Amino acid sequence: MNLFFALSPFLTLALGALLLMVAEAAAAGNGRGEKVRPGLALGAALTCFASCAAAAGVWFYGVERIEGLDVLQPWLIIDRFTLFFAGLLALGGGLASLLAGGYLPEHQIERGEFYALLLFSTLGALILAAAGDVLTLFLGLETMSLGVYALTAFRRASPRSAEAALKYFLLGSFAAALLLFGFALLYGATGHTDLAGLGQAVKTIASGALSGQAAGPTTLGAAAGPLVLFGFILVLAGLVFKVSAVPFHMWTPDAYEGAPTPATSFMAVAVKAGAFAVLLRVLLVCFGDKQSTSWANGWPAVIAWIAVLTMTVANLVAGRQESAKRMLAYSSIAHAGYLLVGVVATSRDGTAGTSGILFYLLGYTVATIGAFGGLILAGHRGAEAVSFEDLAGLGRRHPAAALPFALFLLSLAGVPPTAGFFGKWFILKAAMEGGFSVLTVVAFLNSVLGAYYYLKVLVYLYMREPGAGAPIATPMKSGYVNVALAVSAFFVVLIGLDPSRSLSVATRAAASLFGG
Amino acid sequence: MSTDIWLGWTYFILCALFALVGALATISSANPIRGAMGLLMMILSIAGLYLSLHAQFLAAIQLIVYAGAIVVLFLFVIMLLGPSAQAPSDSRARFPRAIGAGLFLLLGAGVVSWLVMLGQHISKETARLAAAGTWKPATVPSDFGGIDAFGKELFTKTLVPFELSSALLLVAVIGAIAVARSKHGDGAEKALPTAAALTEATPKEEASV
Repeated sequence: MNLFFALSPFLTLALGALLLMVAEAAAAGNGRGEKVRPGLALGAALTCFASCAAAAGVWFYGVERIEGLDVLQPWLIIDRFTLFFAGLLALGGGLASLLAGGYLPEHQIERGEFYALLLFSTLGALILAAAGDVLTLFLGLETMSLGVYALTAFRRASPRSAEAALKYFLLGSFAAALLLFGFALLYGATGHTDLAGLGQAVKTIASGALSGQAAGPTTLGAAAGPLVLFGFILVLAGLVFKVSAVPFHMWTPDAYEGAPTPATSFMAVAVKAGAFAVLLRVLLVCFGDKQSTSWANGWPAVIAWIAVLTMTVANLVAGRQESAKRMLAYSSIAHAGYLLVGVVATSRDGTAGTSGILFYLLGYTVATIGAFGGLILAGHRGAEAVSFEDLAGLGRRHPAAALPFALFLLSLAGVPPTAGFFGKWFILKAAMEGGFSVLTVVAFLNSVLGAYYYLKVLVYLYMREPGAGAPIATPMKSGYVNVALAVSAFFVVLIGLDPSRSLSVATRAAASLFGG
Repeated sequence: MSTDIWLGWTYFILCALFALVGALATISSANPIRGAMGLLMMILSIAGLYLSLHAQFLAAIQLIVYAGAIVVLFLFVIMLLGPSAQAPSDSRARFPRAIGAGLFLLLGAGVVSWLVMLGQHISKETARLAAAGTWKPATVPSDFGGIDAFGKELFTKTLVPFELSSALLLVAVIGAIAVARSKHGDGAEKALPTAAALTEATPKEEASV
């Protein structure tokens, strides 16, 4: 029974997805060969929110008090870090299904599989965040990715959607192969597939390499060092692909643009958060020893360079986009860069850096869902709002549709007092206190640079009028999208006005990663 | 070295070589049927490699599932598509592709030579340790790789990942259905986009990126 309680966030999602499939199969036709789908989106969203509530329930009951979780060892780790991500991912999945409930019928591409895929993808992301072994890590990653590939290809009639899905699928499979090869080398060097055992073995090998002695858990001796290094590089490449950081970001703009907008928002939110969860766990549990976290010999310098490249390239290119959806894709790459600054900070003070990342992800999730929701709301059937021109003058004609959009963009830009501001604040603070002052300055300059293209949308919304003959955007009407925007706006403002409460939750979650 | 070690080496090299040749044939042949045959060759060689690792059950599964089912399915699809399965030769971006291939070959050569050096180092090290008596080769349990040992492992120790893999398979099935199924009652649904349509649809703004 304890086991079921601890796993309830996972089981809720799986059960809900299965029920939705049955409901879709049993849905009655309306006589014209079209199925009537009464509230599949509502069901999907409720499943996600129930999973979120289950995670909160386990959190408040106290996951440390639950006994009998040994059977899950070492496959799944249920701790506060996992529960935080379970709540966050389920929230993201729920909001994305609400967006889908408005978007898909409006654009006449609604089919029940969308919601089942979305839920299973969320489940995969949850498994990924909980993975304590390479085997479950890979299963979670693939469950999440396969669902997202199919969601990207969901708009069958559009060649652009097919192209995006094919690119994403091929590159994603390649990245997964790199990841597997890396883990195979790590297994060869250490004889472990569980992350904790891997961490112990890496520590022994690293200390042996430092003292110049042939020390290792296997008979490889000094040869284990290069194997670990090479395996680590491959694993890092695979994970960095999933968080879409430069130089592994090429798929992101195309996949984000080609996918239906609710799927895009899900990719920007859940895939990224799940990948960051596993990146943190692998870096801090497997490679958290003194040698690996030192600036001279370890991963922080590598991650710092990736972070600088990611932020700079993404921000520079985002400003030149003509499509708002593509701009948001580049903005999500830039946010991965800011988050990687937090990852660098974890090498000095693990709890501060990790809690900064978790807090940032919370604010980023609601603001990104909101921004894509705003884009969805601005268009209607046959005239989806994609480019900046489509948004021109929306603020004057339809203030109710433009106002939440503006709020979420301000949060993404990091304007106080929104959630995005405090997210950047905590990450930069952790980086500064860790002694990474140059990196902090670069991240700060980049967030100023990033404000340019968010403000550009605001300029179009409020200070431009559509050109003569240009199509005039009329917002769609959908209760689902309105609810998603309201919930997101509530969280953006709440976290912005009272950051201390969310930060204390994030800190407790981060501390559990370090056995606290 | 004794004869059985030499035999083992020869077997490994042969299987590995055939796997590589098959993989190369898969990606380089313009004729899709030849590609599928190359894939079949690679799968068979990998099954041979599994055998050399005492994994008989895995080798059998590899033959049944991959060689028996998946390659046959590929062949069916290629035959169904007929001449349209032949990809038109694409001369765009020849230069960057050549650079990419060159870089990859260079990197691959570096990695392989490094791995060879590492292997020599490891065999020297193990020989030294074995002479000192601190190391002996791992012994394989007699039932290793058989179906009963495999099943026992699968349903006891690795039960959690086994259950989780059901979610993975399910999502793959639903995803395939979602992508493949055409929409009912929608005249706008077009036929599968051809390769030519896809290349035309490549976003123009990529030049500005």
